[in-house]
Amino acid sequence: MTFDLAKILRSKREFRQRLAARPIEEKLAMLDALRERALALRPTRSALETGTLHEEPPPYRGQGGQSR
Amino acid sequence: MNIKSTIAAINQMQADGVIERYAIGGAVGATFYLEPVATLDVDVFITFRPEAGSLLATAQPVFDYLKARGGRMEGEYIVVAGWPVQFLPAASPLVEEALAQAVEKDVAGMSARVFTAEHLAAIALQTGRAKDKARLLQFIETGALDPARFHAIISRHGLLEAWKRFEKQFLGDTP
Repeated sequence: MTFDLAKILRSKREFRQRLAARPIEEKLAMLDALRERALALRPTRSALETGTLHEEPPPYRGQGGQSR
Repeated sequence: MNIKSTIAAINQMQADGVIERYAIGGAVGATFYLEPVATLDVDVFITFRPEAGSLLATAQPVFDYLKARGGRMEGEYIVVAGWPVQFLPAASPLVEEALAQAVEKDVAGMSARVFTAEHLAAIALQTGRAKDKARLLQFIETGALDPARFHAIISRHGLLEAWKRFEKQFLGDTP
C-alpha cells in the first residue's frame, strides 16, 4: 500500500497497458462481460421493456474541428 | 451474448454480398488497440448499396438479411448475437477515409475489419464528447498511435485547431 500518487498513477498506467496488450479474443470476451455487468447495473425503463440497452451514437459529422 | 458471433454474422453478410465493405469503429474498434472499456453496442460503418431500381442507398437489405437470420430490431439498432449493432454510413470525408483504409485483424482465426488506431483517434477528436476525449487520451498514453500518420490525418481533415485545444487542455503538463 502506498499513498505516493505518482506511483499509483504509474501503476494504473502499467496495468492498463498490460490489459491493452492482451490477445484480442480475450479482450472481446471482456467486452461481453463488461456489457453484461453494465446491463445489470443500469436497468432503465427502456431496458425493462425491451431487454436491451444501447448508447446514443456519436455525431459523426462532416465538419472538422468544432465539437459543439 | 457473444461479440465474436456478432462479427462472424457481419463477415457472413459481407461474404453473401449484402454489403460491399464494413469496418468496426467506436469502443469495440478501439478495443483492438486499447484496454477494453464497457460499451453497450457495436458501431459498424458500411458502404450502403442502392437497392435495385433505386438511386437511394438504404440499410434495409442489411436489416432484412439479419432479421431473416434471427436478428431483432431495437429502434435504429439490430440485435445480433445479443449485441445491439448500429450500421452507420460513412457520412464525412474522415469516416469515408477511415472505412477505405480500415485494416483486417485476426480474431482467433476469424477476420475482422477495423478502423486504424489513427483514424479512431481522429474521429474521437472530431466527435469531441467527454468519452471521446478520454479515448483519445488512452490512445496517446498507450502509445498506440503512429504520430506522423495521426498528424497527417488530422491535418487533411481540418482538425489541427481541435488538436491544439486538446493538447492545451489535456497534454499541457505532460512531462
